[in-house]
Amino acid sequence: MAAIIRSRPIRQFRQIFQDPVLAVALIAVSLFVFIAVILPILAMVSTGFSAEGLPLFQNYLQNPIYQTIITNTVVLGLTVGIIGTGLGFLFAYVQVKVKAPFKRFMHLIALVPIISPPFALASAAILTFGRNGMITKGIFGVRCFWGQGRSCNDIYGLDGLTMVLALSLFTVAYLNLKGMMLALDPAMEEAATNLGASKWRTFRTVTIPMLLPGILSSFLLLFVEAIADLGNPLVLGGNFEVLATRIYVTIIGLYDTNAAAVLSVVLLVPSLTVFIIQRYWVNRQSVVSVTGKPTGTPQQITHPLVRWPLVALVLAICLLIIILYATIFVGSFVKVLGVNNEFTIDHFDFVINGYGSEAMTDTTLLSIISTPLAGILGMIIAFLVVRKAFLGRGLLDFSTMLGIAVPGTILGIGYLLVFNNDIQLVLPFGGENAPVITLIPKLTGGRAIFGGAMAIVIVYMVRSIPAALRSGVAALSQIDPAIEEASISLGADNALTFRKITLPLIRPAFLSGLIYAFARSMTTISAIVFLTTPQTKIMTAQILNEVENGRFGNAFAYCVILILIVLVAIGILYLTVGSTTGAERTLEGGA
Amino acid sequence: MAAANKANSGSLWLEKISKVFPARGGSGEVTAVNAVDLTIQQGEFLTLLGPSGCGKTTTLRLIAGFEMPSSGHILLDGKDITNQPPNKRDMAMVFQSYALFPHMTVFDNIAYGLHIRKLSRSEIKEKVANTLDLMGLQDLGARRPNELSGGQQQRVALARSLVMEPRVLLFDEPLSNLDAKLRVQMRSEIHALQRRLSITSVYVTHDQVEAMALSDRIVVMNKGQIEQIGTPDEIYRRPISRFVADFIGRANFLEARAEAVMNNQATVTLLGQTMTISAAGNPKTGDTLVAVLRPEALKLRVDPQLQPALVEQAMYLGSEIEYRVRVGQGILTVVENDPRASHIFREGETVGIDTIPEAVHLLPA
Ligand SMILES: Nc1ncnc2c1ncn2[C@@H]1O[C@H](COP(=O)(O)OP(=O)(O)OP(=O)(O)O)[C@@H](O)[C@H]1O
Ligand SMILES: [Mg+2]
Repeated sequence: MAAIIRSRPIRQFRQIFQDPVLAVALIAVSLFVFIAVILPILAMVSTGFSAEGLPLFQNYLQNPIYQTIITNTVVLGLTVGIIGTGLGFLFAYVQVKVKAPFKRFMHLIALVPIISPPFALASAAILTFGRNGMITKGIFGVRCFWGQGRSCNDIYGLDGLTMVLALSLFTVAYLNLKGMMLALDPAMEEAATNLGASKWRTFRTVTIPMLLPGILSSFLLLFVEAIADLGNPLVLGGNFEVLATRIYVTIIGLYDTNAAAVLSVVLLVPSLTVFIIQRYWVNRQSVVSVTGKPTGTPQQITHPLVRWPLVALVLAICLLIIILYATIFVGSFVKVLGVNNEFTIDHFDFVINGYGSEAMTDTTLLSIISTPLAGILGMIIAFLVVRKAFLGRGLLDFSTMLGIAVPGTILGIGYLLVFNNDIQLVLPFGGENAPVITLIPKLTGGRAIFGGAMAIVIVYMVRSIPAALRSGVAALSQIDPAIEEASISLGADNALTFRKITLPLIRPAFLSGLIYAFARSMTTISAIVFLTTPQTKIMTAQILNEVENGRFGNAFAYCVILILIVLVAIGILYLTVGSTTGAERTLEGGA
Repeated sequence: MAAANKANSGSLWLEKISKVFPARGGSGEVTAVNAVDLTIQQGEFLTLLGPSGCGKTTTLRLIAGFEMPSSGHILLDGKDITNQPPNKRDMAMVFQSYALFPHMTVFDNIAYGLHIRKLSRSEIKEKVANTLDLMGLQDLGARRPNELSGGQQQRVALARSLVMEPRVLLFDEPLSNLDAKLRVQMRSEIHALQRRLSITSVYVTHDQVEAMALSDRIVVMNKGQIEQIGTPDEIYRRPISRFVADFIGRANFLEARAEAVMNNQATVTLLGQTMTISAAGNPKTGDTLVAVLRPEALKLRVDPQLQPALVEQAMYLGSEIEYRVRVGQGILTVVENDPRASHIFREGETVGIDTIPEAVHLLPA
């Protein structure tokens, strides 16, 4: 038996390698994930722990300035996590469990922040609620102080940052919790009521505990996103500095890669911890607590004292979101919003015909290239992970997910460290003039291959594959593996089965993977700021530039165009990929 | 169908096949199939039968190539196919869940494998049409699987495999999702089709009636090993172990001493009657044996010559009457299926119990 145990992995691989296409797919995705995700992270970590890096750790951890920065980061993560999850819960609860008007409208508004170009909400918040904000100053003429001369409508700092980040990120929590609430078996609440519990008691002792895994997992997701965010703290932080912004300044301002790597390691610790908790603990909890098929119709809350305050609160937040997006829209059509409200199309002229046109086309083109690649790769990895048994299956999944679990700044620096030179293999013969093979050409910085565009496409992919992978895994686990085996039994190989059977069946997941990938690529900033080159201009980096120089009109025009491009792309994707064949209906009905 | 010209191929040989899985969710391992040796003749209908978890599905999936054996070899028509991927094996599988392609019409489902074989469009059309006819699905070609009843889906699944004219057909509990009536009907359809096309078939079920009805031979499996191979009649009438006797049909077990043995015939005394009957496992005189008495091997009759039996329970089942009677310390099950037996014994009545020696079988204890 011992021999059998030892040879099992080999046998599994032999089974996979019988099909060359499968073997190539496995090798290719593993190589991609290793080079594009693992290598940069490893490089960053090893630089952090190098002889130059190690002393800095001690410095930083003892230096009060850095202590404050670390505290700030954690505090920001906590507040955004709590408030964002709260918002998501509120929206989901009203949507599922309260008898409320305008539900469709609330739902749509909650989805709007999915497409939020970085800085867009932050800039809009400055112009509406800032020191000279149109609403704070213009409408209410607010001028109050908390004492010590600090203005209470100072949007800069933790409070403004929390508001903007919570609004930009709460959609994830909303969708997550709404799904759980819908899946929650109403019989359980009915049972509690039946046993004499009041509505409030039922909510406290049944609903909340049942949703706890979802609440926790939303909180963790938002926490990670918040501490990784670069764009908003850069614009709204003021004196409130966080690790991401400090890393950015360290690289862009001081060109100090060692220091940046050390700070990145510090930032990596909470990010990875939360990711691992999320993956191995929270997800396990949620499997147990949702019973699957709901058996009754959920009771909705109709009590006016509960119902109307909740509805009012949700509508107020919807209004806030609308104001911010309207500011972006209006701001792009006037000279200087709030100062000179004269209509102009100069900003659009600048973006479409002028200096910005290059960034617009480059960004769109690179996103168009990366989106299908990310979608397909996500589905292939999902297929391998769900359907094939091989050693390192869990590792492949985990490593792929690292692409999004790791803050973008860290990934960007990792790329600078690894890909700033050709990666070459010197063959072990020929002595002095040994032949040199370039394995990976220089991807970043000046004279990089394709003007650095390749690195950007890869980062776009790395950042979007995880979402595609998760939706692919979820979809695949719903599909009876016998359907694929039937195809194989009828003579199709793995590749044909994947193309003709698997992919059509998981098309909804594929579609959402593609949409996510495109939206993410168009709006991502934190990894990209380090990778843009004079030859390759990226819209988000240009927006940052405009915002930093106070040219909000141009920034808003960029944002409006960016949003339009994403919307058009979503439309096109729906038309091409999303045409229904009834397969997904069958799956839903038959499940 | 052209399958007939393949009638002289499709013999399978499993040579010391084992399959060890890492245990699900934990450490350790499960031996799902343990050194199974099996020859399946051309055109034969062979059933793998056994309790849940005994390794039937795993054996079938090893034949199909969905699992790689941990050790051993599989030969198809003398050629070693152990390392051949499943899509290259000339076999077709019918799944318990049917596994129809939900995004394709019935026609496309059936044509799927033919497309892969790169048959011409007209050929495909003709073959699919023939198969639809054969399965009584003429008018359903344009429908999708979710627009079919369970029985129709089952037929499509069968048609999809049959159209390939494979050397071996594999079935994994294909009827278990159907209701009782439809099951019986599909059972006889499969029986008739297989006899007509004479395609070698390996059929997995845990329903012994299905196995009896369909099979040329039955393989009874237990804990990954073959317990007995034989025709339905052999398995039922001459089980070689208590496990088989218990699993196939119902049986009363009584201990008995071999008073004399000759030519594998032992003389024993059962329920007061001395008889000489066939015995498995070469017993010697003086050995303790176990007698297998099928319920229909026992008869109840009012006869003071016979061993008395107290009727504890009487159930009228229509085609038969089932009694539970106490004889001494033990409880025996007796089935009366003689339509002439108009009289039902009442619970509490004491009657005589008689044995039909031809229906008794002896096993080693
Ligand atoms: N992929 C697998 N991984 C681990 N263990 C497995 C796997 N497949 C089967 N087993 C185990 O192998 C044993 C045999 O399983 P198998 O499915 O062959 O049984 P079966 O006879 O078909 O049972 P049933 O009548 O319930 O379908 C069981 O103990 C099962 O748990
Ligand atoms: Mg089975």
